[in-house]
Amino acid sequence: MLEQLTLQDTVLDAAREVFETMIFMDIETSSDACPSITGESLLGSITFKGDLEGCLAVCVSQSCADRIAKNMLGMEADESLTIEEACDAIGEVANMVMGSIKSRLQPLYPTLEVSIPSVITGRELKNTLGERAVKTIVCAWLDGQEAAEFSFLYRKSASQKTQ
Amino acid sequence: MAKSLMIVDDSATMRKIIMRTVRMSGLEFDRTEEAGNGKEALEKLQASPVDIVLCDINMPEMSGTEMVKEARKIDCCQATKIIMVSTESAEELINSVMADGANGYITKPFTPEKFQEKLAPFMN
Repeated sequence: MLEQLTLQDTVLDAAREVFETMIFMDIETSSDACPSITGESLLGSITFKGDLEGCLAVCVSQSCADRIAKNMLGMEADESLTIEEACDAIGEVANMVMGSIKSRLQPLYPTLEVSIPSVITGRELKNTLGERAVKTIVCAWLDGQEAAEFSFLYRKSASQKTQ
Repeated sequence: MAKSLMIVDDSATMRKIIMRTVRMSGLEFDRTEEAGNGKEALEKLQASPVDIVLCDINMPEMSGTEMVKEARKIDCCQATKIIMVSTESAEELINSVMADGANGYITKPFTPEKFQEKLAPFMN
């Protein structure tokens, strides 16, 4: 089983690589309890199967999603953005963070097949995987202002359990 | 010499990001096209070929790996340079898609410098 501390670092390193390279935002973990994401929010998730099965999700507030999308697209702060553009951007963030996690897990788990990302909007959104799932949550601040939650849920696949 | 480019990705946002990053890399194209999956890309390429294709792998309808294989069977795409742009970084997959006819591979997240490095050899 993956060590939780190592997995937390893996998720954080992957998120940091994506945010610093493509979104131009600093990312720091929260030393306190997870900052709450209140009001309308977006949850981008992507599932994987193979040596492990589970899902990665990125949850941010609507305002944070707008900021991420504008940074990714090189838009000015006062330019208008559609909800579809914000959703598409959060889906891509989930996709890239998962891709980065996958490459870091490759030596331990070489076979991980990743789905196409999906995004939902609403309030108090949670990433779940049912019973016996191992859950790693990384709470972070983006540019010291906006809260973001990265949750990586997994369980060993049937083929791995028998080994 | 004027060059043309097609960006193939199911995410409209990612297509815009790639276009922006290409511009930031200093590379210039006189014509740019977009497609949302491999099937749409092949249809557009047959109607109007381009010099360079930047292609995602994980897409609905037709993946980037399938698209490369199909493109190499079509006369009009023989000279087209196809660079994969994907979050997938497994060496086995990269070797496989290169063997199928891709001309380069860029992993996401990417930088303008990476596009410059991978595309510049095909600009002359």
